[in-house]
Amino acid sequence: MSDIVNYHLTVNGMDYPVNAAQGRNLLSVIRAEVGLTGTKEGCDDCECGACMVLLDGQPVNSCSFLAVQAQGRAITTVEGLQQGDEMHPLQRNILEEGGVQCGFCTPGMLLSATALLERNPSPTEEDVRIGLSGNLCRCTGYAKIVAAVQRTAAELHP
Amino acid sequence: MSFTIATTLDEALQALATGARPVAGGSDLVVGARHGKAPLPEHLVAIDRITELQCIEVTDAGVCIGAGVNHHIIEHHPLLSNAFAGLSDGSALVGSPSTRNVGTLGGNVMNSSPAMDTGSPLMVLGAEAELRSLRGSRRVGMAELWTGPGRHSAEADELCVAIHIATPAPRSNSAYLRLEYRRSMEIAVVGAAAAVTIADDGSVSAVRVALTAVAPTIIEVTGIGLGSVAEVAAAAAAAASEQARPISDVRASDKYRRHTVGVMARRAVEAAARRALGEPVSVPVNRAIGIGAAS
Amino acid sequence: MSTTSVPRFVRADGPDKVTGSGRYTADLTLTGTLVAKFKYAEVSHARIARLDVSAARAIPGVFAVLTQDDVPDVRFGPFVQDRTLFARDVVRFEGEIVAAVAAIDVPTAQRALNAIVVEYAPLPVVNDIEAALAADAPLVHEGWSQYGAADVLVRERNDASFASIAKGDVERGMAEADTVVHSRYVADGCHAAPIEPRAVVAQWEGNKVTIWTTTQVPFDARAGVCETLEMPASRVRIIVPHLGGGFGGKCGFHYEAHVAALAKATKRPVRLVFSRREEFIAPDRRREGIVFDFETGVKADGTIVARKVWLAIDNGAYTADAGFFSQLAAMHALGPYQVPNALAEAHLVYTNHQPSGSVRAPTAPQTCWALESHTDEVAKAIGMDPVAFRIKNAVATGKEGPSGQVYDEIGLVDCIEAATARAGYGDDLPDDEAIGVAIGWWPSFSAASGAYVKIDGDGSGQIITGAQECGTGAVMTLRQLVADELGMQPEDFELVYQDTSAAPYDMGATGSQTLFNNGRAAIAAAGQIAEQLKQLAADMLEASPADIVLADGAASVAGTPSRSVPITELAGIAAGGELLIGHGSGVPPAAQEVSGATCIGDVGMTAWVAPQFSCHAVRVKLDRDTGVARVLHVSTAHDSGTIINRIGATGQVEGGVMMGIGQALTEGTRYNDEGQQRNAALLEYKLQTCADAPPIDIHFVEINTPNAGPRGAKGLAEAPNVATAAAIANAIAKIAGTPIRQLPMTAERVWETMNTEGSPA
Repeated sequence: MSDIVNYHLTVNGMDYPVNAAQGRNLLSVIRAEVGLTGTKEGCDDCECGACMVLLDGQPVNSCSFLAVQAQGRAITTVEGLQQGDEMHPLQRNILEEGGVQCGFCTPGMLLSATALLERNPSPTEEDVRIGLSGNLCRCTGYAKIVAAVQRTAAELHP
Repeated sequence: MSFTIATTLDEALQALATGARPVAGGSDLVVGARHGKAPLPEHLVAIDRITELQCIEVTDAGVCIGAGVNHHIIEHHPLLSNAFAGLSDGSALVGSPSTRNVGTLGGNVMNSSPAMDTGSPLMVLGAEAELRSLRGSRRVGMAELWTGPGRHSAEADELCVAIHIATPAPRSNSAYLRLEYRRSMEIAVVGAAAAVTIADDGSVSAVRVALTAVAPTIIEVTGIGLGSVAEVAAAAAAAASEQARPISDVRASDKYRRHTVGVMARRAVEAAARRALGEPVSVPVNRAIGIGAAS
Repeated sequence: MSTTSVPRFVRADGPDKVTGSGRYTADLTLTGTLVAKFKYAEVSHARIARLDVSAARAIPGVFAVLTQDDVPDVRFGPFVQDRTLFARDVVRFEGEIVAAVAAIDVPTAQRALNAIVVEYAPLPVVNDIEAALAADAPLVHEGWSQYGAADVLVRERNDASFASIAKGDVERGMAEADTVVHSRYVADGCHAAPIEPRAVVAQWEGNKVTIWTTTQVPFDARAGVCETLEMPASRVRIIVPHLGGGFGGKCGFHYEAHVAALAKATKRPVRLVFSRREEFIAPDRRREGIVFDFETGVKADGTIVARKVWLAIDNGAYTADAGFFSQLAAMHALGPYQVPNALAEAHLVYTNHQPSGSVRAPTAPQTCWALESHTDEVAKAIGMDPVAFRIKNAVATGKEGPSGQVYDEIGLVDCIEAATARAGYGDDLPDDEAIGVAIGWWPSFSAASGAYVKIDGDGSGQIITGAQECGTGAVMTLRQLVADELGMQPEDFELVYQDTSAAPYDMGATGSQTLFNNGRAAIAAAGQIAEQLKQLAADMLEASPADIVLADGAASVAGTPSRSVPITELAGIAAGGELLIGHGSGVPPAAQEVSGATCIGDVGMTAWVAPQFSCHAVRVKLDRDTGVARVLHVSTAHDSGTIINRIGATGQVEGGVMMGIGQALTEGTRYNDEGQQRNAALLEYKLQTCADAPPIDIHFVEINTPNAGPRGAKGLAEAPNVATAAAIANAIAKIAGTPIRQLPMTAERVWETMNTEGSPA
């Protein structure tokens, strides 16, 4: 079909050739073409944050971002947080603090937290709450997630 | 079907001249297409990598904010958040951290929604949009630019490249507040911005107030008399409620909108006045005072 | 409570969930998978004049288009058999499925939906709960009397289930009262809104179907497929990958049969993934709207002498699992109070709305909100402090509740005292702030449940359970129970779960029952292995099995720790002989007999096994100019029996409270005049964000509950959602000077109430 375009995406440091319709959003291309399903679809409307990825380190709702527009930029998904077998401190801490229940918001939450700590290594509790306020969680009431982010900040910048 | 990633303004203007539509962050475009508001245009030109659109240029005369500057930057920019605080208030309330990161000032302005959070601040700051095409360049004021919900007076080949705001008079500042039901991921139910100049005797010597989400476009309130801050705030509230033309929808009734837009106008005048007097009222006002403040 | 002083609970499924490697249903793809999409009625009530799918079937890439003509003509429903898989003749709510499509991709499926021709002859829309009860109201189901239904249900026209609880003489009680307070309240419906939208994948091999689905109740889902597609359970296998939350919304049988039917017709695997809008309009599980009318008679000293309640619940278009809601709501409306003379009458009313069904403590939060708002009105009427009034009248150990049940060890009064003290109730506050207090209760559900435990030759074990994990961590906690029973570590055990063909029955992640019932089953299964291990160790150590102790990974002779053998060694021996396999179920605890109350439409909800109690004290700040309320602090105290997994338990309270704040302030379905939802999107249906979440103080009243679950545990997943909205209401009422009579208490409703003529504010 004429609307299929060919391009490359760099996801978690790997180069992926993509053939997909021009109008496809980044979320569906990451999940179906690149084959990484850690990024979730919760609303397809920028209203839940489950689809959050990092684009050059900045948080983006991948449901509402054109995949073609992400070419040439570094895309990070939840699968890219872990270094080898070692979990990222945020991953470890969100588990140990009990900030994971159903887990569906967790990938997006982790990426928002990563971007937040990158911008603001010593956030106040209010900074964390605002920083994560684009990621809805129905299970936890957020308390343990906020605690995990604060603990990570304290560990990384004592 | 075509998708071009422009790296210079000229490339972008060329693409526009041949019928392409610009996409910056893309959220309005992509979400709009999905909801059936308007199909995704066949020919798109990405303008998010054009350096010329990313700059914030400050002169004695004023500030020029590139259309590609995102809301996160406007919220945190040291000059903007001090001297043009009302605009930073608006940017700081857009959507969520990620939408503030992707969404641009130019995108917000050209989406022309009457509920846009940067709209009424730009109006009270007397901002002008710089529209450029291969045919040339022109500047239009906000009242002239916005013609209806989602409609504006720019031609199809014109790109909004920058927003220009003149330096406010001494002892002046601005503020924007909106009614919100939760502290994030909101769209304005109503909102109001005020720009205020304080005379040496402490009274208000100039005031502009504009309203969000109470008419088909952002509207400016007229006929607010001058006087003490309290008098002007009260007059602004009354005039705002009087001049608003709100609709009833799932977010609020017209009656409630008419009342609360007055409350927002009063608070915006008060916050702008405090700032004009040099009192620190942090950005965004919504989270600095009142019900939205961190406890 | 400090989380650093106790061992950290790290969920067994946690690493999958934080690394993105865990698969949820929508993540699954099988070779050749087709896309499923549904054609919905979109109108709320109409007769189908014409339905023509031939053009849709002719589109290249469309593999099947199914309607009710293509599936067995079965009416189903757990209480009233009022539903068919696809609409038959009449559509009764906007989210009713008229046809289903399986196509090669999403655009093709969408084109097929657009090509389906449906013409409707409109029928009157039943949009109002009370009007629906009128004798001349249009019927949602013309043929209601012909439907099969549970024998106990009392049905009449649009009333799908009437229930009453009567005790003493309510008229005489009112006559003896010094003050009688009358109140009316209206609660709007709302949604479970899990972040994961529903998904189903089905694949046939021979005459057997495997269905991967986002259900909280796999065995229920299987039963639904068997009933509607007329198949034996042995040919239907339900597997639940990781489940992205449920909150009751994913209870019951949903779209498994539709997708299985599509997969059968196309001879291909088929996958359905819901959009957020579908998630809002289609499922027969949303929290029910209720209209309440209360009358309470009270003595001048604050003693309740009589209470009379009338309530009508929005059943929606189909009854789903709501058949027991009328009696349950009646219990919540009488409340955890000593009421000598009581009469509660409850109706479950058909409307042309989305069907109601179990959402986290069904009927409880909104009924608690209404009753507890009324309770503050009663206290105010006699000039008594509302907390003192509650302590005086609340049910307590040895006292009789409104249905005649006499409670053994319960901690409600302890909860009230703890929550209010920890909230600083009575301290001075700014004039735009107040603390509101409410109490709630919830039953523990006793049910059959099963599990296996095995230990392999290397000493590592598996727990194979029918229980379902929907995020709460209840299944994760089974490792701790089994490990404790065998003197091993939780990490020694793998969990095998959420597969109806691998594990014995369990009711599912519903009714806060997982730990209560499956915990009992897993302990029983582990107990069998413990006996085997003790016998093996006794033989080896030349001791009596009765003297063998299992601890720290070893079997030792009691009092002689040097005579010891590692369990791994015993497992190795067993691997060459009689294998270490245990199975367990245990006997579900029975409810007490009750006497003294007369119940019509009795579905067994008046006597509660191991009831849970709670008190929430919430500090709220109100912006009087706009009516916007903000919750500043929540103090909670819960009697949920023994707390086994503290991180998991506090997580349930925090999540339940936040859901309660949303229900109180921003979450409520708005209908238009045609019975269609106006806010079926997350921008307009507002869940609370991280930035809105207040500090939540958590206190557990752990008393020795007879007849409870393992180690004295009761349930906990639903209880924290019961009292929050009510406590917020009482705080707002204090500041506003008058109660807000509609839920959610949106900013506009608060402002409107404060500015209505005659209001004290």
